Amino acid sequence: MPILNINGKSVHIQELNKGAAETIILIHGMFSNLSVYYFNIAPLLATQFHVVLYDLKSHGMSEKVLEGYDLESMTDDLLHLMEALELKKVHLGGYSFGGLIALKMAIRFPERIHKLAVIEAPDPNDDKTRGIIDEYSREFLEHYVENFTDTTKVKMGKRQMERNHRMYEYLFYQTSIKADMELEKGFFGSAAITTIEQPTLLLYGTDSNCLNAGKQLEGLIDQASLIAVPGDHNIPIQEPLVIAEALFHFFKETSN
Amino acid sequence: MDTITTKMSREEIFDLMKKFITEVIGEEFVEEMDISPESSFTKDLEMDSIEIVSFSEKIKAHFGEQIDFTGWLSAMDLDQLINLNLGMIISYIEECQS
Repeated sequence: MPILNINGKSVHIQELNKGAAETIILIHGMFSNLSVYYFNIAPLLATQFHVVLYDLKSHGMSEKVLEGYDLESMTDDLLHLMEALELKKVHLGGYSFGGLIALKMAIRFPERIHKLAVIEAPDPNDDKTRGIIDEYSREFLEHYVENFTDTTKVKMGKRQMERNHRMYEYLFYQTSIKADMELEKGFFGSAAITTIEQPTLLLYGTDSNCLNAGKQLEGLIDQASLIAVPGDHNIPIQEPLVIAEALFHFFKETSN
Repeated sequence: MDTITTKMSREEIFDLMKKFITEVIGEEFVEEMDISPESSFTKDLEMDSIEIVSFSEKIKAHFGEQIDFTGWLSAMDLDQLINLNLGMIISYIEECQS
């Protein structure tokens, strides 16, 4: 299992097609892990690109960390990862919360990012998004698992429910994630977001609660184009091949 | 990484898979389970996707280039992945060896 030590913390990464000229880094969402890309999306992109997947702190098989869930810290983590892998400039793709990290990366380090793909990034000012963090309970987890996770089709067994419950409990009640997310409320309203110059692909589900966030971003980012894919917030799980092909064509046709 | 040169029997592959599963989900859970070739990954073994990633990595590390396990999995849709059982993996590894 490839585990890197980044700033004294263990980070689980996966790399495909290491020798390729251009690199795509994919960022997963909150309460998820790199497996959202591992089985379908990453292998297709790896037919041409070097693909890097990593587990965010306290997610998947990366080390648990109490603080630093704001976008500034999350992008610091990614920059350190790029440095550890000696990657000067990459294409970036992010799903949900990972999409916000990708946007922040393009704002903070534009010279390190070629092209940007944002899948289902929510508006942090949206009550529903923040509501998830405010109203956590065991009942909430059961409801969330039924409706919003990448296990939608699988009834979660006792061991998995316990594992997930422990992760949510940890993230919600022990880490600074709630307070850190609260700080990001104004992200879409900030002038910084309009400075993004990279060609940006926005992929959203036609039935997603986040579709409006995609429309907002299309208006805020100069070179952005929005594609609505049939599905809801879970489009990478529901339509992995559609997402993989959209990403592949976008990164391929715009790469120099 | 150790690469296997001699052909493994179904029983040997089964034992190896069982060892990998134990390493991934932990002995305390495996003890309560009756792992058989019919055991499905998501329903019976209750493995989630990140655990299946770990399991795939173990197969990759053990068999090397000989077996493209991730490639084989990536050709499956969600329903097929959900119904994946140990026997199917044993057959796949057996086929790759022949």
